[in-house]
Amino acid sequence: MRYLLGIFLVTLLLSANDATIEVIKKADSYASIAIEDATESFETVASRQFFKNIVSDMNVLSLFNVERKHYINNYDDSSTSLETRAFDYVLRYRLRHGDRDNIMVDMKLLHNDSVMMEKVYKMSKKNLLVFVAHSIAYDINDMMGAAPVDWMKKKVIFSKLTAPGRSEIVISDYTLTYQHTIIKGALNVFPQWADNKQNAFYYTSLSKDIPTLYKMNLKTGTKEKIATSDGMLVCSDVSDDGRKLLLTMAPSGQPDIYLFDTLSKQKKRLTTYRGIDVNGQFMEDNKIAFVSNRLGYPNIFSKKLNGGGVEQMVYYGRSNAACSAHNEYVVYKSRESNNEFKRNTFNLHLISTKTDFIRRLTATGVNEYPRFSTSGDTILFIKNYQQQSSVGIIRLQENKSFLFPLKIGKLQSIDW
Amino acid sequence: MKNVLMVSAVAALLVLSGCSSKDSSIEPYDNSGVTIQPDTSSNADTEELNGEDVVVVEGTDANEMTLSALESRLNSVHFAFDKFNISSEMQDIIDTNSQLVKSDAKNYSVKLEGNCDEWGSDEYNYALGLKRANAVKSSMIRDGVSAERITMVSYGESNPTCTDKTEACWAQNRRVDFKLLP
Repeated sequence: MRYLLGIFLVTLLLSANDATIEVIKKADSYASIAIEDATESFETVASRQFFKNIVSDMNVLSLFNVERKHYINNYDDSSTSLETRAFDYVLRYRLRHGDRDNIMVDMKLLHNDSVMMEKVYKMSKKNLLVFVAHSIAYDINDMMGAAPVDWMKKKVIFSKLTAPGRSEIVISDYTLTYQHTIIKGALNVFPQWADNKQNAFYYTSLSKDIPTLYKMNLKTGTKEKIATSDGMLVCSDVSDDGRKLLLTMAPSGQPDIYLFDTLSKQKKRLTTYRGIDVNGQFMEDNKIAFVSNRLGYPNIFSKKLNGGGVEQMVYYGRSNAACSAHNEYVVYKSRESNNEFKRNTFNLHLISTKTDFIRRLTATGVNEYPRFSTSGDTILFIKNYQQQSSVGIIRLQENKSFLFPLKIGKLQSIDW
Repeated sequence: MKNVLMVSAVAALLVLSGCSSKDSSIEPYDNSGVTIQPDTSSNADTEELNGEDVVVVEGTDANEMTLSALESRLNSVHFAFDKFNISSEMQDIIDTNSQLVKSDAKNYSVKLEGNCDEWGSDEYNYALGLKRANAVKSSMIRDGVSAERITMVSYGESNPTCTDKTEACWAQNRRVDFKLLP
Protein backbone atom coordinates (compact mmCIF):
# COMPACT_ATOMS: atom_id res chain seq x y z
CA MET A 1 0.00 0.00 0.00
CA ARG A 2 2.80 2.39 0.94
CA TYR A 3 4.54 1.42 -2.32
CA LEU A 4 1.40 2.25 -4.37
CA LEU A 5 1.00 5.57 -2.59
CA GLY A 6 4.62 6.36 -3.39
CA ILE A 7 4.06 5.68 -7.10
CA PHE A 8 0.94 7.83 -7.04
CA LEU A 9 2.77 10.75 -5.41
CA VAL A 10 5.70 10.52 -7.82
CA THR A 11 3.30 10.43 -10.79
CA LEU A 12 1.47 13.44 -9.39
CA LEU A 13 4.69 15.40 -8.95
CA LEU A 14 5.91 14.53 -12.42
CA SER A 15 2.62 15.46 -14.05
CA ALA A 16 2.52 18.75 -12.15
CA ASN A 17 5.74 19.74 -13.91
CA ASP A 18 4.64 18.58 -17.35
CA ALA A 19 2.99 21.46 -19.21
CA THR A 20 1.43 19.10 -21.76
CA ILE A 21 -0.85 17.77 -19.03
CA GLU A 22 -3.92 19.86 -18.40
CA VAL A 23 -4.41 20.86 -14.78
CA ILE A 24 -7.98 21.59 -13.76
CA LYS A 25 -8.34 23.95 -10.85
CA LYS A 26 -11.66 24.86 -9.32
CA ALA A 27 -12.35 28.56 -8.96
CA ASP A 28 -13.85 28.12 -5.50
CA SER A 29 -10.51 26.92 -4.20
CA TYR A 30 -9.01 30.38 -4.69
CA ALA A 31 -8.83 32.97 -1.90
CA SER A 32 -11.15 35.93 -2.35
CA ILE A 33 -9.87 39.45 -2.86
CA ALA A 34 -11.58 42.85 -2.97
CA ILE A 35 -10.05 46.06 -4.25
CA GLU A 36 -10.48 49.32 -2.36
CA ASP A 37 -9.90 52.60 -4.16
CA ALA A 38 -8.59 55.22 -1.74
CA THR A 39 -7.91 57.90 -4.37
CA GLU A 40 -8.91 61.34 -3.13
CA SER A 41 -8.16 63.64 -6.04
CA PHE A 42 -7.18 62.36 -9.47
CA GLU A 43 -8.42 62.46 -13.06
CA THR A 44 -11.60 60.36 -13.18
CA VAL A 45 -11.00 58.61 -16.50
CA ALA A 46 -7.47 57.53 -15.58
CA SER A 47 -8.62 56.48 -12.13
CA ARG A 48 -11.45 54.32 -13.51
CA GLN A 49 -9.11 52.75 -16.06
CA PHE A 50 -6.60 51.95 -13.34
CA PHE A 51 -9.24 50.13 -11.31
CA LYS A 52 -10.14 48.05 -14.39
CA ASN A 53 -6.46 47.27 -14.98
CA ILE A 54 -5.97 46.14 -11.38
CA VAL A 55 -9.05 43.87 -11.53
CA SER A 56 -7.88 42.43 -14.85
CA ASP A 57 -4.35 41.79 -13.61
CA MET A 58 -5.58 40.14 -10.41
CA ASN A 59 -7.71 37.83 -12.54
CA VAL A 60 -4.82 36.98 -14.84
CA LEU A 61 -2.70 36.07 -11.82
CA SER A 62 -5.14 33.20 -11.22
CA LEU A 63 -4.48 33.27 -7.48
CA PHE A 64 -7.74 34.85 -6.32
CA ASN A 65 -11.45 35.03 -6.85
CA VAL A 66 -11.54 38.72 -7.70
CA GLU A 67 -14.52 40.88 -6.71
CA ARG A 68 -15.24 43.37 -9.50
CA LYS A 69 -17.15 45.87 -7.35
CA HIS A 70 -15.46 49.24 -6.94
CA TYR A 71 -15.08 49.74 -3.17
CA ILE A 72 -14.05 53.06 -1.62
CA ASN A 73 -12.07 53.47 1.59
CA ASN A 74 -9.57 55.79 3.23
CA TYR A 75 -6.00 54.81 2.53
CA ASP A 76 -4.78 55.15 6.11
CA ASP A 77 -7.68 53.33 7.78
CA SER A 78 -6.23 50.51 9.81
CA SER A 79 -9.05 48.10 9.02
CA THR A 80 -10.93 47.15 5.90
CA SER A 81 -14.43 48.50 5.28
CA LEU A 82 -17.52 46.62 6.44
CA GLU A 83 -18.24 45.68 2.86
CA THR A 84 -14.85 44.08 2.28
CA ARG A 85 -14.41 42.47 5.68
CA ALA A 86 -15.60 39.07 4.45
CA PHE A 87 -12.86 38.86 1.82
CA ASP A 88 -9.65 36.94 2.48
CA TYR A 89 -7.54 39.76 1.06
CA VAL A 90 -8.05 43.46 0.38
CA LEU A 91 -5.90 45.36 -2.07
CA ARG A 92 -6.06 49.08 -1.32
CA TYR A 93 -4.53 51.74 -3.54
CA ARG A 94 -4.42 55.50 -3.88
CA LEU A 95 -3.50 57.54 -6.96
CA ARG A 96 -2.05 60.98 -6.30
CA HIS A 97 0.11 63.68 -7.83
CA GLY A 98 3.62 63.89 -6.39
CA ASP A 99 6.31 66.52 -6.65
CA ARG A 100 7.83 67.57 -10.00
CA ASP A 101 4.74 66.39 -11.92
CA ASN A 102 5.29 62.80 -10.89
CA ILE A 103 2.36 60.47 -10.42
CA MET A 104 2.35 58.33 -7.33
CA VAL A 105 0.48 55.14 -6.54
CA ASP A 106 0.35 53.95 -2.94
CA MET A 107 -0.59 50.32 -2.47
CA LYS A 108 -1.09 48.00 0.46
CA LEU A 109 -2.33 44.44 0.71
CA LEU A 110 -4.35 43.60 3.81
CA HIS A 111 -5.17 40.22 5.28
CA ASN A 112 -7.22 40.01 8.49
CA ASP A 113 -6.66 43.77 8.94
CA SER A 114 -2.90 43.28 8.91
CA VAL A 115 -0.75 44.94 6.27
CA MET A 116 1.02 42.15 4.41
CA MET A 117 2.87 44.41 2.01
CA GLU A 118 3.05 48.10 1.21
CA LYS A 119 4.76 49.88 -1.63
CA VAL A 120 4.81 53.21 -3.46
CA TYR A 121 5.13 53.42 -7.24
CA LYS A 122 6.25 56.57 -9.01
CA MET A 123 6.13 57.49 -12.69
CA SER A 124 6.44 60.56 -14.84
CA LYS A 125 3.54 59.98 -17.22
CA LYS A 126 -0.10 59.09 -16.75
CA ASN A 127 -0.18 56.70 -19.70
CA LEU A 128 2.25 54.43 -17.83
CA LEU A 129 -0.29 53.76 -15.08
CA VAL A 130 -1.20 50.39 -16.53
CA PHE A 131 2.38 49.27 -15.94
CA VAL A 132 1.94 50.14 -12.27
CA ALA A 133 -1.07 47.83 -12.19
CA HIS A 134 1.12 45.11 -13.75
CA SER A 135 3.89 45.81 -11.23
CA ILE A 136 1.45 45.58 -8.32
CA ALA A 137 0.18 42.25 -9.62
CA TYR A 138 3.75 41.06 -10.11
CA ASP A 139 4.71 42.05 -6.56
CA ILE A 140 1.65 40.43 -4.99
CA ASN A 141 2.26 37.26 -6.98
CA ASP A 142 5.86 37.29 -5.77
CA MET A 143 4.82 37.79 -2.17
CA MET A 144 2.36 34.90 -2.42
CA GLY A 145 5.20 32.68 -3.60
CA ALA A 146 3.56 31.80 -6.93
CA ALA A 147 5.47 31.03 -10.13
CA PRO A 148 7.09 34.22 -11.48
CA VAL A 149 5.10 36.38 -13.90
CA ASP A 150 7.95 38.45 -15.33
CA TRP A 151 6.11 38.62 -18.64
CA MET A 152 3.49 40.89 -17.04
CA LYS A 153 5.98 43.73 -16.82
CA LYS A 154 7.54 43.15 -20.22
CA LYS A 155 6.71 45.14 -23.30
CA VAL A 156 4.94 43.51 -26.21
CA ILE A 157 5.89 44.54 -29.74
CA PHE A 158 3.65 43.83 -32.70
CA SER A 159 3.03 44.69 -36.32
CA LYS A 160 -0.52 45.45 -37.35
CA LEU A 161 -1.86 45.76 -40.87
CA THR A 162 -3.76 49.03 -41.27
CA ALA A 163 -4.49 48.80 -45.03
CA PRO A 164 -3.30 46.66 -47.95
CA GLY A 165 0.48 47.10 -48.09
CA ARG A 166 0.53 49.32 -44.98
CA SER A 167 1.44 48.47 -41.42
CA GLU A 168 2.49 49.95 -38.11
CA ILE A 169 4.87 48.60 -35.50
CA VAL A 170 3.54 49.19 -32.01
CA ILE A 171 4.95 48.76 -28.51
CA SER A 172 2.36 47.94 -25.85
CA ASP A 173 1.76 46.24 -22.56
CA TYR A 174 0.32 42.72 -22.71
CA THR A 175 -3.26 43.97 -22.33
CA LEU A 176 -2.94 46.57 -25.16
CA THR A 177 -4.06 49.28 -22.70
CA TYR A 178 -0.83 51.16 -23.35
CA GLN A 179 0.12 51.47 -27.02
CA HIS A 180 2.83 53.48 -28.67
CA THR A 181 3.29 53.35 -32.43
CA ILE A 182 7.00 53.26 -33.09
CA ILE A 183 7.07 52.93 -36.89
CA LYS A 184 4.33 54.34 -39.09
CA GLY A 185 3.81 54.10 -42.82
CA ALA A 186 5.00 51.70 -45.52
CA LEU A 187 5.10 47.93 -44.85
CA ASN A 188 7.21 46.83 -41.89
CA VAL A 189 6.62 43.40 -40.40
CA PHE A 190 7.96 40.70 -38.05
CA PRO A 191 9.28 42.86 -35.18
CA GLN A 192 11.41 40.84 -32.76
CA TRP A 193 13.01 42.09 -29.55
CA ALA A 194 16.81 42.18 -29.86
CA ASP A 195 17.42 41.05 -26.26
CA ASN A 196 15.78 40.65 -22.89
CA LYS A 197 16.35 44.30 -22.00
CA GLN A 198 14.00 45.32 -24.82
CA ASN A 199 16.01 48.40 -25.74
CA ALA A 200 16.16 47.46 -29.43
CA PHE A 201 14.28 45.32 -31.91
CA TYR A 202 14.70 43.79 -35.35
CA TYR A 203 12.11 44.18 -38.08
CA THR A 204 11.71 43.56 -41.79
CA SER A 205 11.09 46.42 -44.17
CA LEU A 206 9.28 45.37 -47.34
CA SER A 207 9.18 48.90 -48.73
CA LYS A 208 12.64 48.84 -50.27
CA ASP A 209 13.64 47.31 -53.59
CA ILE A 210 14.80 44.31 -51.60
CA PRO A 211 13.54 42.94 -48.24
CA THR A 212 15.78 44.44 -45.56
CA LEU A 213 16.30 43.55 -41.91
CA TYR A 214 16.91 46.49 -39.61
CA LYS A 215 17.77 46.82 -35.95
CA MET A 216 16.08 49.80 -34.33
CA ASN A 217 17.63 51.28 -31.20
CA LEU A 218 14.84 52.69 -29.06
CA LYS A 219 17.11 54.91 -27.00
CA THR A 220 18.53 56.80 -29.93
CA GLY A 221 15.89 56.29 -32.61
CA THR A 222 18.60 55.13 -35.00
CA LYS A 223 18.37 52.05 -37.18
CA GLU A 224 21.08 49.79 -38.50
CA LYS A 225 20.84 47.66 -41.63
CA ILE A 226 21.55 44.05 -40.65
CA ALA A 227 20.94 42.08 -43.83
CA THR A 228 19.13 42.03 -47.16
CA SER A 229 17.74 39.17 -49.19
CA ASP A 230 15.79 38.84 -52.38
CA GLY A 231 12.31 37.40 -51.85
CA MET A 232 11.93 37.31 -48.09
CA LEU A 233 13.87 38.00 -44.92
CA VAL A 234 12.60 37.47 -41.38
CA CYS A 235 14.30 37.44 -37.99
CA SER A 236 12.55 34.38 -36.56
CA ASP A 237 14.27 34.13 -33.18
CA VAL A 238 16.99 35.68 -31.04
CA SER A 239 19.18 33.61 -28.72
CA ASP A 240 18.86 34.25 -24.97
CA ASP A 241 22.11 36.22 -24.92
CA GLY A 242 21.03 38.26 -27.94
CA ARG A 243 24.13 37.27 -29.92
CA LYS A 244 22.71 34.78 -32.44
CA LEU A 245 19.76 35.22 -34.76
CA LEU A 246 17.77 32.65 -36.71
CA LEU A 247 16.91 34.26 -40.02
CA THR A 248 14.74 33.06 -42.87
CA MET A 249 16.40 34.24 -46.06
CA ALA A 250 16.05 33.45 -49.74
CA PRO A 251 19.08 34.85 -51.57
CA SER A 252 18.39 32.62 -54.57
CA GLY A 253 14.60 32.50 -54.28
CA GLN A 254 14.76 29.53 -51.95
CA PRO A 255 13.53 30.13 -48.36
CA ASP A 256 15.99 28.58 -45.89
CA ILE A 257 17.05 29.07 -42.27
CA TYR A 258 20.35 30.78 -41.49
CA LEU A 259 22.23 31.26 -38.22
CA PHE A 260 23.51 34.83 -38.01
CA ASP A 261 26.19 35.98 -35.57
CA THR A 262 25.53 39.61 -34.61
CA LEU A 263 29.16 40.22 -33.60
CA SER A 264 31.03 38.66 -36.51
CA LYS A 265 28.19 39.40 -38.96
CA GLN A 266 28.78 35.92 -40.40
CA LYS A 267 25.86 33.73 -41.40
CA LYS A 268 25.62 29.97 -41.78
CA ARG A 269 22.95 28.19 -43.81
CA LEU A 270 21.25 25.55 -41.65
CA THR A 271 18.70 24.04 -44.06
CA THR A 272 19.05 23.07 -47.70
CA TYR A 273 15.73 21.47 -48.64
CA ARG A 274 14.49 22.75 -52.01
CA GLY A 275 10.96 23.39 -50.67
CA ILE A 276 10.07 25.67 -47.77
CA ASP A 277 12.08 25.84 -44.52
CA VAL A 278 11.11 28.75 -42.26
CA ASN A 279 10.37 29.89 -38.68
CA GLY A 280 13.56 28.65 -36.96
CA GLN A 281 13.34 28.62 -33.16
CA PHE A 282 16.15 27.97 -30.70
CA MET A 283 15.45 25.01 -28.42
CA GLU A 284 17.28 22.75 -25.97
CA ASP A 285 20.35 20.61 -26.77
CA ASN A 286 21.75 23.04 -29.33
CA LYS A 287 18.84 22.28 -31.66
CA ILE A 288 16.31 24.33 -33.61
CA ALA A 289 12.65 23.66 -34.30
CA PHE A 290 11.35 24.88 -37.66
CA VAL A 291 8.51 24.64 -40.17
CA SER A 292 9.06 22.74 -43.41
CA ASN A 293 6.90 21.36 -46.20
CA ARG A 294 9.31 18.49 -46.89
CA LEU A 295 6.47 15.97 -46.44
CA GLY A 296 4.22 17.82 -48.87
CA TYR A 297 2.48 19.92 -46.23
CA PRO A 298 3.76 22.29 -43.54
CA ASN A 299 4.89 20.52 -40.38
CA ILE A 300 7.28 20.94 -37.45
CA PHE A 301 10.81 19.48 -37.57
CA SER A 302 14.03 19.82 -35.63
CA LYS A 303 17.72 19.55 -36.34
CA LYS A 304 21.02 20.18 -34.58
CA LEU A 305 22.69 23.54 -35.11
CA ASN A 306 25.96 21.82 -35.96
CA GLY A 307 24.51 19.59 -38.67
CA GLY A 308 23.01 16.14 -38.77
CA GLY A 309 19.64 14.88 -39.90
CA VAL A 310 16.20 16.39 -39.72
CA GLU A 311 13.71 14.91 -37.26
CA GLN A 312 9.91 15.15 -37.51
CA MET A 313 8.50 16.51 -34.25
CA VAL A 314 4.73 16.50 -34.82
CA TYR A 315 2.58 13.61 -36.05
CA TYR A 316 -0.79 15.30 -35.67
CA GLY A 317 -2.49 17.91 -37.87
CA ARG A 318 -2.82 18.40 -41.60
CA SER A 319 -1.10 21.74 -41.75
CA ASN A 320 1.21 22.90 -38.96
CA ALA A 321 2.56 26.19 -40.23
CA ALA A 322 4.03 28.05 -37.23
CA CYS A 323 5.84 27.20 -34.01
CA SER A 324 7.65 28.51 -30.95
CA ALA A 325 10.04 26.52 -28.77
CA HIS A 326 11.18 26.66 -25.15
CA ASN A 327 13.57 24.00 -23.84
CA GLU A 328 11.81 20.69 -24.55
CA TYR A 329 8.43 22.27 -25.33
CA VAL A 330 7.10 23.26 -28.74
CA VAL A 331 3.81 25.07 -29.31
CA TYR A 332 2.53 24.99 -32.88
CA LYS A 333 -0.36 26.19 -35.00
CA SER A 334 -2.39 23.44 -36.63
CA ARG A 335 -5.22 23.51 -39.16
CA GLU A 336 -8.04 21.35 -37.79
CA SER A 337 -10.03 20.90 -40.98
CA ASN A 338 -9.08 19.17 -44.19
CA ASN A 339 -11.25 21.59 -46.11
CA GLU A 340 -9.50 24.88 -46.49
CA PHE A 341 -12.69 26.94 -46.40
CA LYS A 342 -15.24 25.21 -44.17
CA ARG A 343 -14.81 25.51 -40.41
CA ASN A 344 -11.22 26.36 -41.11
CA THR A 345 -10.14 26.60 -37.51
CA PHE A 346 -6.49 26.92 -36.62
CA ASN A 347 -5.62 25.90 -33.08
CA LEU A 348 -2.50 25.92 -30.96
CA HIS A 349 -1.12 22.67 -29.58
CA LEU A 350 1.64 21.95 -27.10
CA ILE A 351 4.05 19.02 -27.22
CA SER A 352 7.11 17.98 -25.27
CA THR A 353 10.12 16.07 -26.57
CA LYS A 354 10.03 14.15 -23.28
CA THR A 355 6.47 12.75 -23.58
CA ASP A 356 3.95 11.69 -26.21
CA PHE A 357 1.17 13.95 -24.94
CA ILE A 358 -0.40 16.61 -27.14
CA ARG A 359 -2.34 19.36 -25.43
CA ARG A 360 -4.74 21.52 -27.41
CA LEU A 361 -4.59 25.07 -26.10
CA THR A 362 -7.31 26.89 -28.08
CA ALA A 363 -10.77 26.03 -29.40
CA THR A 364 -12.18 28.58 -31.85
CA GLY A 365 -11.04 30.99 -34.54
CA VAL A 366 -7.65 31.38 -36.17
CA ASN A 367 -5.02 31.13 -33.45
CA GLU A 368 -1.49 31.79 -34.60
CA TYR A 369 1.91 33.28 -33.97
CA PRO A 370 2.56 31.61 -30.57
CA ARG A 371 5.46 32.93 -28.51
CA PHE A 372 6.68 31.41 -25.24
CA SER A 373 7.46 33.68 -22.30
CA THR A 374 11.07 33.68 -21.05
CA SER A 375 10.13 31.25 -18.28
CA GLY A 376 8.16 29.06 -20.69
CA ASP A 377 4.99 28.80 -18.59
CA THR A 378 2.98 31.38 -20.53
CA ILE A 379 2.26 31.73 -24.25
CA LEU A 380 1.49 34.91 -26.14
CA PHE A 381 -0.44 34.50 -29.39
CA ILE A 382 -2.64 36.18 -31.99
CA LYS A 383 -6.31 35.27 -32.29
CA ASN A 384 -8.44 36.30 -35.26
CA TYR A 385 -12.11 35.54 -34.77
CA GLN A 386 -15.20 37.12 -36.32
CA GLN A 387 -13.36 40.11 -37.81
CA GLN A 388 -11.63 40.80 -34.48
CA SER A 389 -7.90 40.58 -33.93
CA SER A 390 -6.79 39.99 -30.33
CA VAL A 391 -3.69 39.38 -28.29
CA GLY A 392 -4.05 36.14 -26.33
CA ILE A 393 -2.31 34.94 -23.18
CA ILE A 394 -2.29 31.26 -22.20
CA ARG A 395 -1.16 30.35 -18.68
CA LEU A 396 -0.20 26.71 -19.02
CA GLN A 397 -0.04 25.64 -15.38
CA GLU A 398 -3.22 27.51 -14.48
CA ASN A 399 -5.03 26.22 -17.59
CA LYS A 400 -6.44 29.67 -18.33
CA SER A 401 -6.39 31.94 -21.34
CA PHE A 402 -7.18 35.63 -21.71
CA LEU A 403 -7.92 37.79 -24.76
CA PHE A 404 -7.22 41.48 -25.27
CA PRO A 405 -8.83 42.82 -28.48
CA LEU A 406 -7.13 45.23 -30.87
CA LYS A 407 -9.51 48.06 -31.74
CA ILE A 408 -8.12 48.96 -35.17
CA GLY A 409 -6.18 46.88 -37.68
CA LYS A 410 -5.20 43.23 -37.89
CA LEU A 411 -2.30 41.76 -35.96
CA GLN A 412 0.42 40.44 -38.28
CA SER A 413 3.13 39.29 -35.88
CA ILE A 414 4.02 39.67 -32.22
CA ASP A 415 6.85 39.25 -29.73
CA TRP A 416 7.54 39.86 -26.04
CA MET B 1 13.42 55.32 -52.46
CA LYS B 2 14.08 57.53 -49.61
CA ASN B 3 13.42 57.16 -45.95
CA VAL B 4 12.04 59.94 -43.95
CA LEU B 5 13.13 59.55 -40.36
CA MET B 6 11.39 61.60 -37.77
CA VAL B 7 12.51 61.09 -34.28
CA SER B 8 10.11 62.70 -31.86
CA ALA B 9 10.51 63.60 -28.27
CA VAL B 10 10.49 61.87 -25.07
CA ALA B 11 7.78 59.66 -23.63
CA ALA B 12 7.03 55.97 -23.92
CA LEU B 13 9.73 53.41 -23.86
CA LEU B 14 9.13 51.95 -20.51
CA VAL B 15 11.68 51.46 -17.92
CA LEU B 16 10.53 49.35 -15.07
CA SER B 17 12.77 48.92 -12.16
CA GLY B 18 12.01 47.95 -8.65
CA CYS B 19 13.73 47.67 -5.33
CA SER B 20 13.35 44.71 -3.12
CA SER B 21 13.98 46.37 0.18
CA LYS B 22 13.30 49.85 1.36
CA ASP B 23 16.89 50.58 2.33
CA SER B 24 18.64 49.15 -0.70
CA SER B 25 20.28 51.48 -3.18
CA ILE B 26 18.60 51.38 -6.54
CA GLU B 27 20.54 51.15 -9.75
CA PRO B 28 19.31 52.78 -12.95
CA TYR B 29 17.72 50.29 -15.30
CA ASP B 30 19.88 51.47 -18.16
CA ASN B 31 22.13 54.28 -19.24
CA SER B 32 19.40 56.51 -20.59
CA GLY B 33 19.98 59.05 -17.88
CA VAL B 34 16.88 58.13 -15.94
CA THR B 35 17.73 58.03 -12.29
CA ILE B 36 15.52 55.97 -10.06
CA GLN B 37 15.13 57.28 -6.57
CA PRO B 38 13.15 55.89 -3.67
CA ASP B 39 10.27 58.01 -2.49
CA THR B 40 11.47 59.30 0.84
CA SER B 41 8.02 60.50 1.88
CA SER B 42 6.93 56.98 2.64
CA ASN B 43 8.26 53.98 4.43
CA ALA B 44 7.00 51.68 1.73
CA ASP B 45 9.12 50.27 -1.09
CA THR B 46 9.24 52.49 -4.12
CA GLU B 47 9.26 51.68 -7.79
CA GLU B 48 9.62 54.26 -10.52
CA LEU B 49 8.48 54.03 -14.08
CA ASN B 50 9.87 56.39 -16.63
CA GLY B 51 11.15 56.51 -20.12
CA GLU B 52 11.41 58.00 -23.55
CA ASP B 53 10.01 57.26 -26.93
CA VAL B 54 10.71 57.39 -30.58
CA VAL B 55 8.46 57.62 -33.59
CA VAL B 56 9.73 56.81 -37.03
CA VAL B 57 7.64 57.64 -40.07
CA GLU B 58 8.64 55.88 -43.22
CA GLY B 59 7.47 56.66 -46.70
CA THR B 60 8.44 56.65 -50.33
CA ASP B 61 10.07 59.45 -52.24
CA ALA B 62 7.50 61.57 -54.02
CA ASN B 63 9.80 61.73 -57.06
CA GLU B 64 9.80 57.99 -57.49
CA MET B 65 9.01 57.16 -61.09
CA THR B 66 5.68 55.51 -61.75
CA LEU B 67 5.35 53.08 -64.59
CA SER B 68 1.67 52.41 -64.28
CA ALA B 69 0.97 52.61 -67.99
CA LEU B 70 3.26 49.73 -68.83
CA GLU B 71 2.46 47.85 -65.64
CA SER B 72 -1.24 47.90 -66.44
CA ARG B 73 -0.47 45.65 -69.42
CA LEU B 74 1.18 43.06 -67.16
CA ASN B 75 -1.54 40.79 -65.78
CA SER B 76 -1.29 39.01 -62.45
CA VAL B 77 -0.80 35.26 -62.19
CA HIS B 78 -3.13 33.38 -59.82
CA PHE B 79 -2.64 30.15 -57.84
CA ALA B 80 -4.63 27.41 -56.12
CA PHE B 81 -4.89 27.20 -52.32
CA ASP B 82 -1.56 26.33 -50.68
CA LYS B 83 0.04 25.74 -54.11
CA PHE B 84 2.78 27.38 -56.13
CA ASN B 85 2.65 25.39 -59.35
CA ILE B 86 1.55 27.24 -62.51
CA SER B 87 -1.56 26.18 -64.41
CA SER B 88 -1.60 26.18 -68.24
CA GLU B 89 -3.95 29.18 -68.23
CA MET B 90 -1.57 31.13 -66.02
CA GLN B 91 1.40 30.02 -68.15
CA ASP B 92 -0.15 31.89 -71.10
CA ILE B 93 -0.30 35.06 -69.00
CA ILE B 94 3.36 34.69 -68.00
CA ASP B 95 4.39 34.15 -71.63
CA THR B 96 2.53 37.29 -72.70
CA ASN B 97 4.10 39.27 -69.86
CA SER B 98 7.56 37.97 -70.78
CA GLN B 99 7.13 39.23 -74.34
CA LEU B 100 6.25 42.70 -73.05
CA VAL B 101 9.22 42.66 -70.66
CA LYS B 102 11.51 41.77 -73.55
CA SER B 103 10.08 44.46 -75.86
CA ASP B 104 8.31 47.65 -74.67
CA ALA B 105 9.58 47.24 -71.11
CA LYS B 106 13.08 46.10 -72.05
CA ASN B 107 14.73 49.06 -70.28
CA TYR B 108 13.23 48.20 -66.92
CA SER B 109 13.77 45.62 -64.25
CA VAL B 110 10.88 43.47 -63.13
CA LYS B 111 9.82 43.04 -59.53
CA LEU B 112 7.66 39.97 -58.89
CA GLU B 113 5.43 40.39 -55.83
CA GLY B 114 4.17 37.13 -54.32
CA ASN B 115 0.91 37.24 -52.36
CA CYS B 116 -1.28 34.87 -50.35
CA ASP B 117 -4.82 34.75 -49.03
CA GLU B 118 -5.62 35.71 -45.46
CA TRP B 119 -5.18 32.25 -43.90
CA GLY B 120 -2.14 32.97 -41.80
CA SER B 121 0.29 35.79 -41.14
CA ASP B 122 3.14 33.44 -40.32
CA GLU B 123 6.42 33.01 -42.15
CA TYR B 124 5.14 29.98 -44.02
CA ASN B 125 2.61 32.16 -45.82
CA TYR B 126 5.35 34.57 -46.83
CA ALA B 127 7.45 31.64 -48.05
CA LEU B 128 4.48 30.41 -50.07
CA GLY B 129 4.19 33.84 -51.69
CA LEU B 130 7.90 33.71 -52.47
CA LYS B 131 7.68 30.24 -54.01
CA ARG B 132 4.90 31.57 -56.26
CA ALA B 133 7.08 34.50 -57.32
CA ASN B 134 10.01 32.14 -57.87
CA ALA B 135 7.89 29.82 -60.03
CA VAL B 136 6.95 32.80 -62.20
CA LYS B 137 10.60 33.91 -62.34
CA SER B 138 11.72 30.46 -63.54
CA SER B 139 9.07 30.53 -66.21
CA MET B 140 10.10 34.00 -67.39
CA ILE B 141 13.72 32.88 -67.60
CA ARG B 142 12.59 30.01 -69.79
CA ASP B 143 10.82 32.64 -71.91
CA GLY B 144 14.15 34.37 -72.43
CA VAL B 145 14.04 37.12 -69.80
CA SER B 146 17.41 37.64 -68.15
CA ALA B 147 17.49 36.52 -64.50
CA GLU B 148 19.46 39.67 -63.62
CA ARG B 149 16.44 41.80 -64.52
CA ILE B 150 14.13 40.04 -62.07
CA THR B 151 13.82 40.65 -58.32
CA MET B 152 11.25 39.17 -55.97
CA VAL B 153 9.46 40.02 -52.76
CA SER B 154 6.75 38.22 -50.83
CA TYR B 155 4.07 40.22 -49.09
CA GLY B 156 2.36 37.17 -47.60
CA GLU B 157 -1.20 38.12 -46.68
CA SER B 158 -0.38 41.80 -46.13
CA ASN B 159 -1.24 43.21 -49.56
CA PRO B 160 -4.67 41.88 -50.58
CA THR B 161 -6.53 43.25 -53.59
CA CYS B 162 -9.82 42.00 -52.17
CA THR B 163 -10.82 42.06 -48.51
CA ASP B 164 -14.19 40.28 -48.59
CA LYS B 165 -14.56 37.00 -46.72
CA THR B 166 -15.36 34.85 -49.75
CA GLU B 167 -13.61 32.06 -51.59
CA ALA B 168 -13.61 34.15 -54.80
CA CYS B 169 -11.92 36.97 -52.95
CA TRP B 170 -9.29 34.75 -51.39
CA ALA B 171 -8.57 33.29 -54.85
CA GLN B 172 -7.90 36.82 -56.18
CA ASN B 173 -5.33 37.36 -53.45
CA ARG B 174 -3.31 34.20 -54.20
CA ARG B 175 -1.31 35.88 -56.94
CA VAL B 176 1.95 37.24 -58.27
CA ASP B 177 1.92 40.87 -59.42
CA PHE B 178 4.40 42.33 -61.90
CA LYS B 179 5.99 45.71 -61.17
CA LEU B 180 8.56 47.57 -63.26
CA LEU B 181 11.58 49.29 -61.76
CA PRO B 182 13.71 51.95 -63.48
